[in-house]
Amino acid sequence: MTSEILDKYLSNEASEQEVQALFEWIEASAENKNQFIAAKKAWVLTSLSTDLSIDTVSVIQMKPKNRIRQYLQYAAVFLVFLGLGTSILLFNSKSENSKEIVLELGDGRLEYFSGKNQTALLNDKGDLVAKKFPNEIIYFGKAPDQEVIYNTLKVPYGKRFRLKLSDGTVVSLNSGTTFRYPEQFGINGNRNVYLTGEAFFEVAKDKTHPFIVHANQTDIEVLGTKFNVSAYPENPTVNSTLIEGSIRMSENANPSNAILLEPNQMATWLNNSKKMIIKEVDPTFYAAWTKGELAFNDTPFSTIAKIIQRTYDVEIINENSDLAKQNFTGTIKISDSSVENILDLLKRDTPFNYSIEQKTITITNPR
Amino acid sequence: MNNNDSFELDLFLSFKEGNEAAYTFFYDKYFRRIQAFGFQFIYDHDEAENLAQEALLHLWQNRESVESINGIQAFLFTYAKSKCLNLIRHNKVKDKFKNDLLNHKERELDIEVLNSLQFDTLELTELERIIQESINDLPPKTREVFIKKRFENKKNAEIAEEMEVTLKAVEAHMTKALKILKTKLSDYLFLIFILIYNN
Repeated sequence: MTSEILDKYLSNEASEQEVQALFEWIEASAENKNQFIAAKKAWVLTSLSTDLSIDTVSVIQMKPKNRIRQYLQYAAVFLVFLGLGTSILLFNSKSENSKEIVLELGDGRLEYFSGKNQTALLNDKGDLVAKKFPNEIIYFGKAPDQEVIYNTLKVPYGKRFRLKLSDGTVVSLNSGTTFRYPEQFGINGNRNVYLTGEAFFEVAKDKTHPFIVHANQTDIEVLGTKFNVSAYPENPTVNSTLIEGSIRMSENANPSNAILLEPNQMATWLNNSKKMIIKEVDPTFYAAWTKGELAFNDTPFSTIAKIIQRTYDVEIINENSDLAKQNFTGTIKISDSSVENILDLLKRDTPFNYSIEQKTITITNPR
Repeated sequence: MNNNDSFELDLFLSFKEGNEAAYTFFYDKYFRRIQAFGFQFIYDHDEAENLAQEALLHLWQNRESVESINGIQAFLFTYAKSKCLNLIRHNKVKDKFKNDLLNHKERELDIEVLNSLQFDTLELTELERIIQESINDLPPKTREVFIKKRFENKKNAEIAEEMEVTLKAVEAHMTKALKILKTKLSDYLFLIFILIYNN
């Protein structure tokens, strides 16, 4: 009987009464105590093998839902696709000429990520606020409320980036994205961040400090989840796709115009009609980019062209009317495929010719 | 030395030289382990994450002192052990129970468990191997339950539902898994004791 309670205790499933009984048993003799210590040691030491995943054992079936649960410790994971922005546009992608990822600090200083070295970011008091690596940046600490400083990260076409905010929230930024966030979150108040472009959020749990993404005309409040936000300036919509937990999306100018999302749902904010519509989706499709993949599902070529332009930083001019009417389905691994690879793949389905000059690709009819 | 080993060894050498990409490899490899370890004494996922972060930062800052690739895990766990002891002694660990006496007793026990853990380099890699083997050798259903419980932190009720078995069956599997692990580990610890004693 005691061994059952002991195991329940180690698994964090024992009730307070059971724990009381267990501790009484432990105090009853030195032998009992040693047994307990040995059991807890064994349990603790299993953390040495935490890279064991179910995949390594053939008998075990992995249901799709399980994969998502690995994010359990994060409060929110969601995708937001931002549409046509006007006043809140933090940069106009057409006029932006930096091909590098740029971090603008609170005082206006610019930092770049092209170096190979890891560097430390200090605030004006000389405290360490972040560690900077070539492909990501990790923030620490908290700031007194009046002193919350905002940084802005600009990720150009052709690049992607990841950062860990000072509260532990992980944000993956897609190409053509501008993200504005507190260098260190304040001790009180909401956690406010601002987005134009596309980002995947894994929000660290903190019920006392609501996490709010301001994306163009919408505010997305996290109530404990994982989600993707797509808010590109050239699209007249904002899309939030929820993977886990729940989020509340509302109109910035009119907070009572709001909806609550459940997992596997995507909400689309329509700029023109000022309405939000919900549909059921497979969220892993929308978050494919965070895993370095492009996913298409009966996607029209015009959309594919736009995505390729952002991901690879090229320009595509399509003079082939047949191709323009075509839809495609498939997945591409970004790091393994060049633009030529992708075009050659598409060519097999719908014949066309293309030529590349510098960063411009022109597609024509086949001869 | 197989391919994997020499690959990691190269990374270790780069890491020592200050290459952050190499460091990132070890960061990703050990982060969850330290977090899982910390959680057993701090009882809070966020705090455990902070601990893991600190430990890994500390590793980077002291990379020169790590002598061999095996030393990385020893370094990290030794730091984590120290930090946990510190947090407990300074009353910074979350209270799990309403009864304060229970919290106090739990902390005392945790201190004893922590003190009994020695992470010297040799012991750790052997242990690591034994643990991996022991888990792999568990009967299939038992192993499945154990992995879901220990590494995915699922509740017994969830596991029962997923595997379509009764709650009692899940509890029985866990008991069995722990019993087998205890036995395998205690053999090992006993052996080490004999070796040290004889030397």
